[in-house]
Amino acid sequence: MNIRPVVSALLRNRVGAILVALEVAIALAVLVNAAFIVGQRIAKIAEPTGLDQQDMFAIAMAGTTTDFDAQSSARDDIAYLRSMHGVVSAAPAGTIPLTGDGSNGELYLEPDQRGGSAVGSWLATDEQGLRTLGATLIAGRNFRASEIRHLARGDIDQAVPEVIVTQSMAHALFPGRNALGQVVYDRQNRPITIIGIVRDFVGQVGFGSPPYNVVILPQVPGAYGSYFCLVRTEPGRAEAILHLAERHLAASNATRVIFFAHTLDYYKAQLDSDDRNMAIFLVVVTALILAITCLGIFGLTTFNVSTRTKQIGTMRAVGARKRDVVSHFLLENAIIVGLGVLIGCTLALGVGYWLSMEYGLPRLDLYFLAIGVLILAVIGQLAAWQPARRAASVPPSVATRTV
Amino acid sequence: MLGYYFRLAINSFRRTPGLTLLMVGAIALGISTCIVTLTVYHAMSGNPIWWKNNVLYAVTMDAWDPSPADPYYSDHPERAPAQLSYRDAMYLYQSPIPGRKVIMTVLFGMLSGAPGESVPMQAQTQATTHDFFSMFDVPFEYGGSWDAAADNGPAPVIVLSKKTNDRLFGGADSVGQTVLWNGHRFRIVGVLDDWRPLPRFYDMTTSAWNDPQPVYVPFQWGPMLQAMPAGNSSCWGAKPVKTYQEFIGSECIWIEMWAELPTAQARARMQAYMNSYWASQHRAGRFMRPINNHLTKVSDWLRINGVVSSDSRILLRLAFAFLTVCLINTIGILLAKFLRAAPTAGLRRALGASRKQIFLQHLAEVATLSVAGATLGLALGAAGLTAVHALYASGGAYGELAHFDPLGIVWALALAAISTLAAGLYPAWTVGRLPPSLYLKSR
Repeated sequence: MNIRPVVSALLRNRVGAILVALEVAIALAVLVNAAFIVGQRIAKIAEPTGLDQQDMFAIAMAGTTTDFDAQSSARDDIAYLRSMHGVVSAAPAGTIPLTGDGSNGELYLEPDQRGGSAVGSWLATDEQGLRTLGATLIAGRNFRASEIRHLARGDIDQAVPEVIVTQSMAHALFPGRNALGQVVYDRQNRPITIIGIVRDFVGQVGFGSPPYNVVILPQVPGAYGSYFCLVRTEPGRAEAILHLAERHLAASNATRVIFFAHTLDYYKAQLDSDDRNMAIFLVVVTALILAITCLGIFGLTTFNVSTRTKQIGTMRAVGARKRDVVSHFLLENAIIVGLGVLIGCTLALGVGYWLSMEYGLPRLDLYFLAIGVLILAVIGQLAAWQPARRAASVPPSVATRTV
Repeated sequence: MLGYYFRLAINSFRRTPGLTLLMVGAIALGISTCIVTLTVYHAMSGNPIWWKNNVLYAVTMDAWDPSPADPYYSDHPERAPAQLSYRDAMYLYQSPIPGRKVIMTVLFGMLSGAPGESVPMQAQTQATTHDFFSMFDVPFEYGGSWDAAADNGPAPVIVLSKKTNDRLFGGADSVGQTVLWNGHRFRIVGVLDDWRPLPRFYDMTTSAWNDPQPVYVPFQWGPMLQAMPAGNSSCWGAKPVKTYQEFIGSECIWIEMWAELPTAQARARMQAYMNSYWASQHRAGRFMRPINNHLTKVSDWLRINGVVSSDSRILLRLAFAFLTVCLINTIGILLAKFLRAAPTAGLRRALGASRKQIFLQHLAEVATLSVAGATLGLALGAAGLTAVHALYASGGAYGELAHFDPLGIVWALALAAISTLAAGLYPAWTVGRLPPSLYLKSR
């Protein structure tokens, strides 16, 4: 097929062609960068928490009076939760994993806050804590029941002689060395021995400590007149058991009320919501941009076909087959889309560069660009297909008629 | 004449309903996407007390850990913490500089003894000073703030939010009645009207997008009852903090402070007061970090605290890219449509219509399109906002922000009118400039 007549036909409606090429260019730039961002968000949501959050829930309790006895109340509530059918394990907790509720702090390699440090969330719990969290020991041992400190009301100091840390926390403190048995220091220069290391899981989020850095303290919280209970259930029963527990606990003790109660799955969804919403937003808007671009291509080809009926008739009359007419319009469209894709590649790279500079996103993966080009090339031709087919149905006799 | 042009436009649409629908749809989509994104962006970046932007200041000083390895904000070591320790807050609060000052923290609260509630109601409590309400222009439905004397006692006085009052007293005027707050009898002195500053600029330490607290009591009730703060508190220092007394004497920071300084002079005096306090404390061995005393106005405070997420800025640009594609699309289709009808325009020119008249005739067609596009765009935008609202309400930080605000509508209409007319200018101008003879001959 000769390209000359296609180009000269193209040049007769230059402005229309340029406009469609521009549309294609912007669509490509948006598509590629949006897909790249969405990919990152999906990867972020899929990052493992190290917890079986679908089989866990948390209940927060708060005393109604100033002389509320959090210790005995927590003991009763935990005992009840442990006795429930379907509950695998339950433990008091000072931090609810996957939420901002809790505390964090530093551990230092040497006294007087020297020799390097690492920050992690502080999760106070008892000897059932590891089992409830589903945290697997990879070195050392769990706390013994006798080692658990029960904090009285007003006792706000979190001093403990021994802790268990996650792998990430261990690595942050002792990169390349075995952290087990090592002595570290808190801000108050008190020595703390690391007696166990567990597989990574996410602790407190949103207040500056790296997600997988967790320090587990042998302590039952109660200093503030409120406490959290963490529960692990048999698979698939968290929601149902949470309901039952809530109903019972709401009435069992009038000196305290349920502050809030949620499954950890709920918190995970909360945590992901910004990324998820951004991804949904981007997918919808990108799909709309592609749709509009297709409509633009469709509109331009339709216009070209309808204003060139006579020329098409002439082509057919002098021997062009239907196939030739279709490929004439498809080729014309391919040139326009190709031009748009070329501009679009530059634009996409520019936007990608700007995003990485302005918002610290990683640099655009060229793989995405290649796929984007392919997608636009294909849908660009598909959009022109129907009007091109219609052009082919123009009978050769049109050439002999005057309009 | 204008009426005639519009009739012609309607006729033209009737001839090509498909193309017309396509154009209206494209304009509407572009505009609705812009409405949705602009509304979200506006809500996320808005200054909820812009009218006091130049008189309200967040008061911060940096008494944090001098060790360079432990800045308060590890990603911004140069920044002073958002909160103050008890002794610094008290000293600054008692400064003789004229102008309102408030200090605040959050306490755990439990309300009981009200007629509408049989079980105690958990209510996070803003412990603050009496100027809180007048300083932040908080509206009252009944009563008002407590007086300055009640701050010192502290007097057992309490202010309820509208929602709390609705729940406990069925919305009736409860001023003068009493409730039990954490087991102590408090007299209600005021009930707030609806008040939801978004973001919650005066306290963003836990979340910028939460509601204001449901209950307010004088600040000194915290120390009085030895109640630990239930909001954010951060400690450093080698001395163990074992009791409440040690806590309020420590370097732990847990109090936010704001000042209303109406003149540059008052501001300068406050700054000087802070600097001289810093110097005296520095000599005494505190404030070991470099001097970092700040009076930050609301807009800067919002910016520093990163309230506008980079996501929303990316979305804003995306919306404009989208609108651009829609407009390019519209220009293309209008051009095609007008050129196709060029023979008619040629005929009109031959019969004596001026270029300007042809131009105006086609512009009238564009204007009709733009009105239709804007109307449909507004409807789509409202639907889109409902969807976004559902999306964010199902989880996330911005629960309530995606409301259709009147400003958004004005924006959208202006956007629709200007952008579509701009898009129509070139095609209308092109068709007006075509030489009539060409089209008359070829037919």
